[in-house]
Amino acid sequence: MGRTSLVLLALLAGCSRGPGQDLQYIKQARSIAAEWALVNEQAAAGRLTRTYVLSMHQWLADGLRTADQSLTQPDSPYGREIHTLLGEPEDAAPAELRAHAERLKQIEDQLESA
Amino acid sequence: MNPLELTLGIMTAVGGFVDVSELVFAAKAGSTFGYALIWVFALGTVGIIVFSEMSGRVAAVAKQPVFNLMRHRLGLKLGLVTLLASMISNLITCAAEVGGVALILNYLTGAPYFLMAIVMVAVMIASIWILPFKWIERVYGLFGLFMLVFAAALVAIHPPWDKIAGGFVPQVPQGLSTKELLTFAYFSVAILSAVMFPYEVYFYSSGGIEEGWGPKDMLTNRVTSILGMSLGSMLAIAILSNSGQLFGPANVDPEIPGTAALQASIPFGRWGLILALLGMFFAIAGAAVETCLANAYGIAQFFGWNWGRHKKPWEAPRFTLTWMALFLLALLIVLTGVDVMMLVEFAILFSILVLPLTYLPLLLLAGDKKYMRGHANGPVAKALGWLYFAIISAAAVAALPLFVLTSGGNG
Repeated sequence: MGRTSLVLLALLAGCSRGPGQDLQYIKQARSIAAEWALVNEQAAAGRLTRTYVLSMHQWLADGLRTADQSLTQPDSPYGREIHTLLGEPEDAAPAELRAHAERLKQIEDQLESA
Repeated sequence: MNPLELTLGIMTAVGGFVDVSELVFAAKAGSTFGYALIWVFALGTVGIIVFSEMSGRVAAVAKQPVFNLMRHRLGLKLGLVTLLASMISNLITCAAEVGGVALILNYLTGAPYFLMAIVMVAVMIASIWILPFKWIERVYGLFGLFMLVFAAALVAIHPPWDKIAGGFVPQVPQGLSTKELLTFAYFSVAILSAVMFPYEVYFYSSGGIEEGWGPKDMLTNRVTSILGMSLGSMLAIAILSNSGQLFGPANVDPEIPGTAALQASIPFGRWGLILALLGMFFAIAGAAVETCLANAYGIAQFFGWNWGRHKKPWEAPRFTLTWMALFLLALLIVLTGVDVMMLVEFAILFSILVLPLTYLPLLLLAGDKKYMRGHANGPVAKALGWLYFAIISAAAVAALPLFVLTSGGNG
């Protein structure tokens, strides 16, 4: 009984392929873009230590790379958006990063309402 | 009751309340659902108060730690299953805390993450070896009070207090899609699990025995449980509320623990950031020590070994080797490179599955007049105990399906 339920759940979870399955990575990338923007904005205002900023950049980039590599459809519009985001310099302008986050949020909302 | 001891006990409980899982889930809950999950923190806090007070009372009167009870009440087979499940849950939780501490040190110093994990495990082993039990709790708990900066930050950003107060009323936000409802349910279960982690009760009751509690300490037990945990929970709620105010509107769902520290830098600048990171460091390191010791207490109590930090390490050799080995195992898990956030997710999941088995024997013994005499559960403790047992049993049944259906709350 327990094993059957587990198999059923795994099948249910695996049902959504493509954009549906990529949704969690799109959300992750959107949040990372927004966190990155917040870090850069606070750093520019002199509210953060340099060590913290460098570490955060490194961890956020790692998270973004993981999300990018986990996509089942890397050539999709969201895949290209995440790729472009990965190419941004560490000290990218907060407004630029927020624009990426906004575009990913729109894609996320479209996929969620589909 | 010594007022200084009592104050220190309460402050220790406050500083030691938040661990990496609560930190992560409070920040994520606030950014995703605003203030709508505050009531789950409040619900879980009453639950952990009920069971901590009960376990402290049992330790003081019956002189029985939780795992001793488990073996007698559940029988050898079911007791062994519970022990194994608790061991896995505590080990993963300990690994998540070790990873969390290493991350915070990385934010503070820039030193490599893996190196920091190794150094911190060595420091934590040394601190358990050197410090008397009471001071192990106090050093980490009292320095964990730096986390009060999150409460100060909440006041400084002028949040909508009426909405925060409204968050204490049990609710499900209107207009959520099925997927969002499932995510809300997953967050509810995860927060309940994070607040009521079984290791907290193992550690608390074993600590009562370590400190030689007796019936005269009943009031200390009650006041420490109620005040310490309520005030500690307020810190978690402050993190959630800051997140609802600062992160949600900015599209941030904190993906790494370090993001939470921004809550203090926004109103207070660099010093806010440093205080927040220091508070997180001590609170998470304290949780790492507690999970490791709680695991060793459980194993030693179950098999009837000599145990306790009130003994010299060589007077309880199997207990000493066990906690050291568990710390090294947790370190090995971290050194595999597994993501801390993933460890947090698994720690939460395993813990909720173990919760009913942890609390049932405790509930039975605390209500048993043969053991507890005049200190057995009264009608309020009995009613609350069984109510929470029903809640955590339902949460345990729902946890795995919700975890799978929501990809661990990620939608």
